[in-house]
Formats: sequence, C-alpha cells, structure tokens
Amino acid sequence: MAPSNPLANWDKLGDSFYRRVSVYDAIFDEDVELENYLVTGAPYGGAIALYRDESKPVRFRDTQTSRSSIDIYSCSGKPINRIHWEQSSLRGIGWSDKEELLVVTEDGTVRRYFGLDGEFTSFSLGNGAEEYGVRACQFWASGLVALLSNNQLIAVSKYDEPRPKLLAPCPEGEVSSWSLIPPAHTLSRSVEVLLAVDKTVYLVDSTEAEDKILQDGPFKHVSVSPSGRFVALLTGEGKLWVVSNDFQNKFSEYDSKSRVPPSSVNWCGDDAVILAWEDEIHLVGPNGSASKYYYDGRVHVIPEFDGVRLVTNDTCEFLHKVTDVTEEIFRLGSSSPASILLDSVEQLEKKSPKADENIQRIRSSLPSAVDTCIKAAGYEFDSYWQKRLLKAASFGKSVLELYNSDDFVEMTEKLRVLAAARDYKVGLPGSYEQYLRLTPEGLIERLINRHEYLLAIRVSEYLQIPADRIYVHWASQKVKVSAVDDEAVCKLIVQRLDGKPGISFEVIAQAAYDEGRSHLATQLLNHEPRAGKQVPLLLNMEEDELALDKAIESGDDDLVNYVLLHLKSKLPLASFFRMINTRPMASALVETAARDGDMELLKDLFYQDDRPIEGSNVLLSEALQEPDLQRRTEKLHLAARLLSDSKDATVVLHQKLISEASQLLKTQESLDKDLADGPEYLGLSLNETIYRLIRAGYGKRAHKVQGEFKIPEKTYWWLRLRALVAKRDWGELEDLAKAKKSPIGWEPFYNEILGAGNTKLASMFVPKCTNLPVADRIEMWVKCGMIVKAAEEAHKAKDVNTLETLQTRASGPAVSEIERMINQLRPRK
Amino acid sequence: MDADHVRDKARRDLLGLLEGVRGKKNLVISQDLAGPVGLFIKFSVLQEYGVDRVFLLENANIDSSQRHVVFLVRGEKAQHVGIVAEQIKRLRNSSNVEHEFSIFFAPRRTLVSNAVMEEAGITGDVNVAEFPLYFMPLEQDVLSLELNDAFSDLYLHKDPGCIFLAAKALMEIQQRHGYFPRIVGKGDNARRLADMLLRMRKELDAEESSGLAGPSSRGLLPSADTENLIIIDRDVDFGTPLLTQLTYEGLIDEYVGIKHNQADVDTSIVGQAPQSQESSKAPQPPKPGLKRKIQLDASDQLFSQLRDTNFAIVGDILNKVARRLETEYESRHTAKTTGELREFVNRLPTYQLEHQSLRIHTNLAEEIMRLTRSETFRKLLEVQQNDAAGADPTYQHETIEELIARDVPIKNVLRLLCLESCMSGGLRPRDLENFKRQVIQAYGHQHLLTFWALEKMELLQPRSSATTMLLPTTSGAHAGTKTNYGYLRKNLRLVIEEVSEKDPNDISYVYSGFAPLSVRLVQCVLQKPYMLSLIKGGSPAASMNAASTASPGWLGFEDVVKSARGSTFSVVQKGDDKAVRARQTLSGSHATKTVYVFFLGGITFTEIAALRFIAAQEAPRRKIVICTTGIISGDRIMEAAVEKDSFAPAE
Repeated sequence: MAPSNPLANWDKLGDSFYRRVSVYDAIFDEDVELENYLVTGAPYGGAIALYRDESKPVRFRDTQTSRSSIDIYSCSGKPINRIHWEQSSLRGIGWSDKEELLVVTEDGTVRRYFGLDGEFTSFSLGNGAEEYGVRACQFWASGLVALLSNNQLIAVSKYDEPRPKLLAPCPEGEVSSWSLIPPAHTLSRSVEVLLAVDKTVYLVDSTEAEDKILQDGPFKHVSVSPSGRFVALLTGEGKLWVVSNDFQNKFSEYDSKSRVPPSSVNWCGDDAVILAWEDEIHLVGPNGSASKYYYDGRVHVIPEFDGVRLVTNDTCEFLHKVTDVTEEIFRLGSSSPASILLDSVEQLEKKSPKADENIQRIRSSLPSAVDTCIKAAGYEFDSYWQKRLLKAASFGKSVLELYNSDDFVEMTEKLRVLAAARDYKVGLPGSYEQYLRLTPEGLIERLINRHEYLLAIRVSEYLQIPADRIYVHWASQKVKVSAVDDEAVCKLIVQRLDGKPGISFEVIAQAAYDEGRSHLATQLLNHEPRAGKQVPLLLNMEEDELALDKAIESGDDDLVNYVLLHLKSKLPLASFFRMINTRPMASALVETAARDGDMELLKDLFYQDDRPIEGSNVLLSEALQEPDLQRRTEKLHLAARLLSDSKDATVVLHQKLISEASQLLKTQESLDKDLADGPEYLGLSLNETIYRLIRAGYGKRAHKVQGEFKIPEKTYWWLRLRALVAKRDWGELEDLAKAKKSPIGWEPFYNEILGAGNTKLASMFVPKCTNLPVADRIEMWVKCGMIVKAAEEAHKAKDVNTLETLQTRASGPAVSEIERMINQLRPRK
Repeated sequence: MDADHVRDKARRDLLGLLEGVRGKKNLVISQDLAGPVGLFIKFSVLQEYGVDRVFLLENANIDSSQRHVVFLVRGEKAQHVGIVAEQIKRLRNSSNVEHEFSIFFAPRRTLVSNAVMEEAGITGDVNVAEFPLYFMPLEQDVLSLELNDAFSDLYLHKDPGCIFLAAKALMEIQQRHGYFPRIVGKGDNARRLADMLLRMRKELDAEESSGLAGPSSRGLLPSADTENLIIIDRDVDFGTPLLTQLTYEGLIDEYVGIKHNQADVDTSIVGQAPQSQESSKAPQPPKPGLKRKIQLDASDQLFSQLRDTNFAIVGDILNKVARRLETEYESRHTAKTTGELREFVNRLPTYQLEHQSLRIHTNLAEEIMRLTRSETFRKLLEVQQNDAAGADPTYQHETIEELIARDVPIKNVLRLLCLESCMSGGLRPRDLENFKRQVIQAYGHQHLLTFWALEKMELLQPRSSATTMLLPTTSGAHAGTKTNYGYLRKNLRLVIEEVSEKDPNDISYVYSGFAPLSVRLVQCVLQKPYMLSLIKGGSPAASMNAASTASPGWLGFEDVVKSARGSTFSVVQKGDDKAVRARQTLSGSHATKTVYVFFLGGITFTEIAALRFIAAQEAPRRKIVICTTGIISGDRIMEAAVEKDSFAPAE
C-alpha cells in the first residue's frame, strides 16, 4: 500500500495545525440511526455507549427496537454488550476512566456497570434527588455531579465508597447550561461546577455559589478546557467566547453565524473548541480562527483530553492538534534537523551520498534530532510513518558515539502494544498520550474487559507486568459459562493456573459461588494460599466452622473477631459457645470483647464452660462497680454462692474471702454509724480500717475488729505502731514500751518514732533491742543524740576505738565523760 | 538506618493524610496514640498542616470550632471506634456546622471497626483512611510498637493481636532489607510469631506480582546485610522484669515512669521548665504537685552517657561532668586572644544546654538516691537479690510480711511474691494462701481479682506436685512448661557476684550481679564462645576476643535452653540459591551485619542496656536493633493484674 501523505488532513488554525486521523471505517450498520442516539465514550479510546435519545420521536418498527437498551460498542463498531433498560427514565450516562459505565435515573439511582459484562452495583444520590428528580448529569474521571430540577447539585467523588454530597445551594432561575471542573484542576481540590443561570454564570463549590457577574447570558453552552484554565461560553446569539477560568480575561470570540445552537460544545485539547451540529463541525482556534468540516450523516463528538473522537456511521476519526515535534518534521519546507534526518534515511535507501552530507550538516544537533524523531513516531497512527521515523532515529543514533537508547527501545515497545490495541478487532484507538495516562496496567484491564485474554497475556509478558488478574478473570469467566461438571472445571482451572504466581483463587471461588456452584467454590477455595482471603466467602457460604478455623489460621485477630461477631449474631448462644470452646484463641477473643461491655455474655460463657471462679469474679467486679451497698452485698453473696459446691482448697479460700468482704462491709457500716458522720470506714481494707480506728483513738474497736477477722498479731502491732506514731500519741507508745515482748521486736518502734522526730522516746527503745549487735545499738544512741549513752554501750563492750571516735563527735561535758571511760579501759601504766 | 526510615515514613504518612483534609481541622486522638505520635512529629508541624487544636478522645470534649474533624484511633480497638461514632453523632446533632469527618485508623482499618461504624450508621458520612503505623523509633537502636496492653493481652487475655501486628511490622523490615536469613527464638508466642512470619512470606510470594503487593516486594531474597532475627517471648523470663532495675534509666522508670521517652517529674525535684524570660520576671517558687516533662533520649548527651550505667556510679560520672564543665567555663578567664574568646562564645549555647541537663540529672539522681537509701528499698532489694541468687525463699517471708504490714505499695509486694514464684516454681500452697489472706486484708478484697489474674498469667502459682520438681533438666521430651531458674542459674551463670559496676565485664552489672536470662539467651545465639567459657567457669573477660564461630541458632545450647519455658526453634529462610549468589557477588559481603532482637511482650530498660553492652562488644561485626511490643517494668506487669476498682466509695 502506498504510504499515506503525512500531511493529509492537516488544517491550519491560527498558528498551529490540526489534523483528522481516520482510525476506523465502516463502524455502524446502516440501520443504526445515529441521529436518534445519545453517544458517550469512555476516556482514552474506550468503549462507546449508545442510548436512544428519548427526546427524539421513535419510528415504530418492531418490539425489538422499541424496547430501550444501552448498547456498548468498541470504537471500531464491534458490539460488546447490550444492557436492557427498563428502569425509570434515564437522566445521565457516562464513563469513569476505569471504563465503568454510569447510568443515572431520574429518581437519583446511580448504577455503576463495571467490566462491560453488565454486572453492576448501585447507590442512591439521596439529598432530595427523589423528590425533585435529576435533570442532568456530568461526569469526570472518577466522579459525577447531578443537577436536580430545583437547581441543587449533588457530587459523588468516588464510586468505591460513594458519598453523595450536596454542593452549596444555587440561586433560583433557569439553568441554561452547566459544566463541571474536575477536582484536579480546582483550588479547593474538590469538584466545582459552572452553572449558567439567567444572564450570568455561577461557580459553585461545596461552600458557596459565587456569581461571576456576566451580562451576556443566557449561555447555551458552558465548557471547561481539559487543563481547567479556560472556559468556552456560547451566547444566545451563537457567539463563542473563550475566557480565563476566573472570567477576568476574554481571549477570543467567534461568531458561528448559526441561529440554531450547536448540539455540543467541546474542547479539542486546550487550544481549540469544537462546535458540533447534526452533520457539521466548527473547529475554533485562538483569535477566532476556524475551520469547518461537513459530514454525510450525524456526527458525534467524544472529547478526550488531547483531542476529540468523531464518530459517524462510517468512520471513527481522531481530531487533534499536530504536536510540535510532528510539525517540526513534516511541515512543508521544514528544514529542522529532525526533518533532514528523516530525509537522509530516504537518501540512504537510494544509496545517495547526500545521506552522509545531510548528517554532517546537522551533526551538532543530531541528538535532539534523534529524540524528535522518536517522539514524533509516537504521535503517528500509521505504522509506515512510525517505522520511517524510528528508522531515521536509529540511523541518527548509529552515527552518534554515545546515545542512551532507552527512549528508543521504550517507544518501540509502546508502539507495538498500541498497534495491537488499535487493531479493529480489539478497537482501542488510544493515542500515545492517552496510553501514557491509561498506563499499561489500565490497558490490560481493558483487554480483560473485552475478554482478549490471549492478547492481554502477551502484552503483560512483553511488558513484564503481572498476569495474575488476567488468569483470574479468565478462570472466573470459565466458571460462569462452562457447562461441564464441577470436577472437570476445577481440574481445568487448576491445571491451567498451576505455577502461576499471585493467583487469587478466592476471587474465582467467589465467581463460582455467585453462579450458584457452591461445591465448585469450595473446591477452588482449597487452592487459595492465603487463609485470610478465604474467610469472607466461607462465611457467605455458611461454612461457619471452616471460616472460623481459617481465620484463626491466618493469625489475624481482626478476622477472627469479625467471624465471631458474625457467628454470635447468627447462632443460638449454646451452639456459639460450643463452637468456640474448643478453640482457645476464639474464646479468648470472645472473653476480651465481652469484658468491654457484655457482662451477661461473659457470665453465660463461664457458666456453660463450667468455670465457677471466673463466673464469680465477674460478679465480684460488678459488686465493685455497684454504688449501692445493699445491692453490692447481694452481688457478693451471689459470687460466693457460685463457689459453694466446690471442695477444692483454693476455691474454698476464694469463697471464704468473698464472704469476708461482705462481712467487712457490714462491720464498716456499723462503724460509720457509731463513730463517724459519713462514710469514713466503708470500703477500706481491713488493715486500713484498723489503722484509722487506732489513729482516731478507738483502740478497743480496733482490737475487736482484729479478733473478728483474725488479723495476725504481728500485723496488728505494726498497724498500732504506725497509727500511734501518726497520731503522735507518745503516751500510749510509752505504755507499749513497758510490755515485755513485742512480736515485731523493738527496733521498728525505735525507727518509726525516731523517724517522727521524738528522739527521747525513741531512745527508750534502744536498751530493749537486746538482739542487735553492739555497734548497731551505739549507732542508735548516736542518732538520738545521746553520745554518752552510746559511749556507755561501747564501754560495756570494752571498745576503745569506738570510744575514741565518739569522743571526737561529742561536745561539752560528754567529752570528759568519755575520756574517763577510755581511761578506765586503758591498761594502767 | 531503620529508626530514621521508620520515623520519616510515619511522619510522611501522617502529614500526607492530614494534607488530604483541606483547610483547618481539629484533631481528636486516642490516648494510646497521642504519646507515640509525639515520637516522630511535633505539634508545631501538625499546626503547619492545618491542625488547629488537638483533643483527647477519652476527654470527649471535641467542639465545633472547625468544620473539619479528624479522628486518629487504633482500628483494632472496637471500643474506641464506638466512642468515635458517638462523638460524631453528638457533634452532628448538636452543632449547626456542617461537619466533615475523617477517621484515620492506625495501623489499619479493620473489619470489626467497619462493623461498628456500620452499626452506628456513620459509614457513609466519614472519610476513612489507614495510617500504617507499626514500629515507632524510640532510639536509633530501639524500635517499639508502643502497645501498652501487649503484656496483658498476651498473657492475661491470651489475645494474640499484638503478635499479628508484630509480624506485620517485621514484614515491613523484611520488605526493606530482604528476608531474615534465620529466625531463632524461644517461647510459644515467639514460635507463633515466627510461624506467622513464614506464613506471611508464603502469602507474599503468592501475592507477588499480583497488584496487591508493591513492586518493592517482588523477588524478595534473604537479606545480605541481616544476620538473623532473635525472638524472645517475655514469658520465657518473667523473673527478670520483676527485679528492680538498677541502671539509671531503669531506676527512673521504676520511680518516675518513662513513657514514650518522656518522664513526668515533679517540679519540686527538677525545677520548672525554663520559660521565656519576659513571661516570668521573678523566679517563682516551684509549686508542689506540678509535673515537668523531661525528654529522655539520645538528644541529651549526658543522659546517653548515664542511662545504661549502674546507678552506683552515676554520682561519679555526674561529678566528673560537673568538674569538666566548670573548668571549661572558667576557661573564659584564661582566654586571651579574641579568637579564643570567640571560640568560647560559640561554645556557650552547648555549654548552657549541658549545664541544664547536668542540673536536671543531678537533681533526679539525688531524688533516686534518697529513695534507694530508704529502709523499705533496702529490704525489697535484699529479698529480690536473695530470690535471684537462689536462696531458700522461705527465709524472706518474714520480711515480706513486714512490708505488707507497713503498707508499702501493693505492686512492690506482689512483685516479690511473683518473683519467688517464678524463681522457685511456685509458692508452697500454705504460704500462698497465707500471703493471699494478708495482701487482701491489707489492700482490700478487690485483690481477689488481682490474684486470679496473676495466677492466670502464671506469675504467681501454688507449687503443685507436678511442678515441685519442675526440673526437666535434660529429659527434654516435652518443653518445660515453666522456666527452671534453678538449673539455668547454674548452667547459664545468671549470678555473677564479682561483677564490677564501674567497669562491667558482663551484662549482669545491670542488676548488680544478676544477668537477665532473656539476654543470656540472646548471648547463647550470638556469643557462644563467651558463654561456653563462662559456664566452664573461666574468667568472663578472657574469651571475649575470640571471634564468634559461625555455629548458627541454638547450636551447642539446645539442651540448656530446653529448661526455659516454651518451644525452641531456629528456622532458615532460604531464597532462590542462584539469585542469592548472584547478589552476593554483586554487592560483596557486608562488613556489618544486623541482628534484630525482638522482645515479644515487652522489654525493660535494663535488658536494653544489657543488649547494648553486647552490641558494643560485637561492633563492628554486628549491629543490634532491638525491637519490642513496648517498654515494660515490674510495676507495669503488675498493673496488668492489679484490680483498680475498690469498695471505697468513689470520690
């Protein structure tokens, strides 16, 4: 085939060129009357949805056509799917950049069809959509805005977890047209809407509606450029204005001279606007320059960020601005280095010496010429010119000594992939720029959606991208459509996917389960290596026990808790307990969760499990939290009674101590009644009770309590000592000192009293500490400031050295006293 | 460095999330995250990212001053999520501001929190995001999950949630450095953690190249710069943390408490925080009861010098530093040339900083000194040391009874009882009953629950006939259900009486003569020749220089280690041999290899000190990174058990 002229279909518009590339021809059958359809296309050369325009009269032919449906085609006109539509009236139809079809009905229901298979999820817009009705919808890559008939706007910014949000209330009035600015291009980072009401335009975001104060409305069309920097407005008189996004500057004006307003106004890239009528298109560039195209039939405009797709019955064209690199090479009379480089390839083929001459001429700028050729190859749709340009680049870089070939290699790879995707059988005519935005993963996703598994796998292998999703999708599809028995399907799938990394059998099993083949689902699930992944499906399949085991196996406590939550609400309590009591982790988690609020469940659990002490402990905790004494005692009784059957020694003690607790409360209650104005003793520990009684001077009562609760003598003495010291009751302590023996010895008395600062009384106890070594006692005397006494002690022990040390610390008469003692001990000379 | 990476990542993640909420916002944070967040981000930075005010979730005082409200809570805590839901609903009903709510779940969004939000009916109205916060950097060599409840969860409630989080955190390290070539460990929960790591690796392999795993994890190999991961389960060695820590940092933790590298010290001890000079003209007398936050980390040079030393020599060091500072400061008089003077002035800020820190630590050390000189401290320590040394515990009972009668804090008493139980395989039932009665009479009957919890944690048990002779010395058929300190004391030389506190030659300096069993176990893996010579009775210092031979895992100590509780394991993680070799030739063999030591259930500051002591010996061949679920102390262990309610009427 003769090479097409690279300049074919170039149109000059102002300073730049635009070109129409015919991508496919013979798209729709003759009987598809495009003029009667609404046509929307997914971004990046994605699928096209056709829906019969309800405003057009329908020629009655047969039931087939009268039934409304949404037809999905590829760009090359290949039917992909037909979605029957019998729901209420449709108000918006659009695509997300993941090629999900969104359909909005008048009552505010949004259906999201994913995977082109007709599977969908739906949600409601709420916020009054039902009462007022949706009037129209606009879409961007990941969200939509709906306009209600009361001028309210509802935005949904993501579909995974849709949260319809009301935008700021708008002024009353007739909305003549509107457009949205995607979040990526707004200052607020959330979607904003331009609403043409009456004579002016409002900018509406989530907090306010700002009047842009224009006088020339009503505007028939409002359209925001792909970069969000410019706005195109079409006035009632058919004039097109391009203004800055803040409405401060007007850049150009164009008069369409048409009384009939165009059916659509779209941007073609960021520099030109397209006005489309039935079969006529005006491409308006900067400064009002324009070119016009005429078609035989109805033409539909599908905007992309770098151009527009034009779809008619016969062709699918891509109209876009000629890029600088392309222009640099192909423009008539171009003498740029890249252009010369391309030319020299031709010379080379002719074996003309001019080839070398050319190269020498552009030698200095050769690297950039090579780069330009590589880039330009990306923007060509015709493989002939792609090859020529790459050949030129290849030739150029062979001359260069040092050149990084990564870009070259990458470009060849990308072009190969693009070529495969653009094939009419596949019908994904994305431009190079679009492919970059779509990403290879995105392309593979689209191939999967079209069930082009083989191609998808080839591409993923070629680009070294994980292929697991492709296999999983294939297997899921297999599960859905294959009619053979479960064993055979399972075997086929497992065989085919054997050794492939990353296969999520859980997804395949889910597909099988959704198809109603639960046996197959169970079988497939066994091949899932990640225990955690199996759980939700197993729960769905009511394989409760298995789900619980798998959750435990995964070690993820959250998953286990989730299963338990599910089971608890579903099963009778007894069988729930039965299920968990053989699984320690499960019952531990149930216990922990119950402690945070479900005490009754805890009691039931311990009762069922025959764990009386723990059951009794629950009651004890409840008693602790119970402010009312009466009920607190009751709880304690209950707690004790739970343990009354046991003969086990620890349990018996436990029970005794619980009973003791209520007995103590009773005693303290009467103490409070007899001795105090308010609750002073209630709730204290036994030791504390005694301590306070003694400190308050109720020694007898304290003694009685000691007897009643069998407090050990030692403890009691300690309490008495501490309480009396705290009370500074020196007299009582002195009385104590008269006793012969103390169960805790006398040293504590000395220490505590000394610590309280009463050296005189403390010293009384020193002689009683007979069991201590002499040195300690000496130290004790010294601490009381009684050096002489200390010296006497040393004297008794005949310790001259110590006496001498003591002498140095003494003063006044003590010095001579000690001197005397030393002399006594010194052998007389 | 892992710590830097972890810190940067956490900061980046949080700021990224905050940036996602446009404009000013109020931040509501749960108590258990507020402290940890301070470890990697300052409030002033949060303000730069639009945070107007910070509220504590538990205070329930969030108001409508900002339209945007961000909640930061742990996704694992269903209870907290419930509180969040309540506050959202309350705020929505009470205020006429149209609020925008966001919830950030750390470290992950859970199914259970989803269910809670669903039930509360707020799912559709809040933005939910995950804040993958696992390890937090306490120091360059310490990574902590900062899970306060890890100990009680693991040993009291038997809830293995923190093991899962630990595994996730370690997987992050593996994804950065490659797989741990070997996982060595001791204890049943440690085994679970290792198994979970192996399982996660398998799952990651399965997920590899599927879109779920990031490109970084693809083709993960055993790490070239990591030697191994050593996991020690806390319940292998309950005894050590029950002892009073005797390093400087350890004692601060015991007496003041260190949380997330900060200690709240009474201003009567350390004085008030230096304030800007305009605000306080006259120095105010310190008010009692006021607390001042003292930052305790490596940013304080003096503290780094002091933290891991035995408290006995802290005074010496402080004196020396004080003298040095003084001479330096005096040097200003001798400065003659302007150059010398300028140099002095340049040093002035550092000098002032040092001086400040010196004052703080001198005051702190004095306060601690006062406490350690008290009679009760001496008695406590005496009982502990006797128990640790293996003396007949019944001789200590009288002292313990006296301490009870004197009403020392209950945690101290319980620590002694638990220590005895751990060290000698339980108390005689009669003794236990007796103590139970006394403790309950002294501290209140609510402690019936405390005892129950301690028994459930196996911290305090009666010595049953089965466990009296719990000495599965070499029988080995079944792994010991209890750690046999009696046997290990001898065979791992836990007690070294002649250890020098000033110039230590063995880790036992951290407890003045008792080596933490947990760290001895680490030594069995890392310092085999040293351990062997130690056991043979050689002088500890002699063999230090012998290069550690490459016998991996527990090799050589299998039998001894069996006497400690729980399973013993050593797993090799192999990779594709060819790839490993190829990479080795590419990158050469690394000089320094990293050893990760993970203390599951918590680690004490003394153990960190001991591990740092080993690390210093092993440098530069090895670097030790200490990982843990959180910092623990004897008191914190007791807190897990001690019943907080009492019969006394609420104030």
